[in-house]
Amino acid sequence: MFKGIWSTLVGLLIEDGQLAIGALIALAITWAVANAGGDSARQVVGWALLVMVLLLVVANLYRAGLVARTRVSSARR
Amino acid sequence: MDPVTLAIHATPAFVASAVEFVEATTIVLAVGVTRGWRAPLLGTAAATAALAVIIATLGVAIVTVVPELLLKGIVGSLLLLFGLRWLRKAVLRFAGIVAIHDEELIYLRELAELRAQGLHRKEFDWIGFLVAFKAVLLEGTEVAFIVIAFGAAGGTAFTAATVGAIAAGVFVIALGAALRQPLTMVPENWLKFGVGAMLCSFGVFWFAEALGMQWPGDALSIPLIVVTFLAASWLAVRILKTLLPEGAQIEARNV
Repeated sequence: MFKGIWSTLVGLLIEDGQLAIGALIALAITWAVANAGGDSARQVVGWALLVMVLLLVVANLYRAGLVARTRVSSARR
Repeated sequence: MDPVTLAIHATPAFVASAVEFVEATTIVLAVGVTRGWRAPLLGTAAATAALAVIIATLGVAIVTVVPELLLKGIVGSLLLLFGLRWLRKAVLRFAGIVAIHDEELIYLRELAELRAQGLHRKEFDWIGFLVAFKAVLLEGTEVAFIVIAFGAAGGTAFTAATVGAIAAGVFVIALGAALRQPLTMVPENWLKFGVGAMLCSFGVFWFAEALGMQWPGDALSIPLIVVTFLAASWLAVRILKTLLPEGAQIEARNV
């Protein structure tokens, strides 16, 4: 069981580390805005978090695509 | 809670748990077909008992001791992190960058490994027992996490998540027992794609709720968030397919 938990953590923080760090930063920004911005800000933080996470996913996968394309190109040479 | 509402609330836990049960069932089937059913069934029963203890001690203690908003915040963050991982992998698989998870291949590999290890008929089959125990405990831990996460809202949510996970277990195990073969017809990547989007959506929803946000229509916002995640992920699949040269089915790890 501990091996399973360990491999999940390694996968999350190392293999998909950039995505995990990006998500943690998005969560921290959301928390900071909700605490600093008062009640009106608190009512839109969810949408802001959603937009940040969506941009993060698309950007991370776009980068993964570029890396894969480079590998395919170098393998064909 | 009426049955229809219960079914709606139990669906995310049902789908997410079904994915894990498919993986565990595939391995138990491989052990049973190769080495006989007694040891793997005992291994499965022992792992189920161990899981029940884990859920009863950890899960219930967490849900009852930690304040609700704090729990929603923590669980929301975890759901988002795990959901993003599932979603990313599912998108990479759809785009051909990572190989599709092949249950039949896993099943055949398990069969070959177990046959290679041999079996003496008179002894209790400890290998079969341990392989089944490990598989059920590992996948079951993930089911336990899913139940605790989806049930974090407390009360009826915990009941719905538990019902969803149990129903998924019964459904997948019945299917596996009827077919006695790996469940290759289950579109696993589609399930992981949907579950990833659902986990992320619940993560965003609960984290914002923990910070004091009131979503328009409360839980009715969740389907809208799920659709948004699915649309963005599908857009990412399209982008990745245009980026890669035609016919490039590569297996690039750590991208």
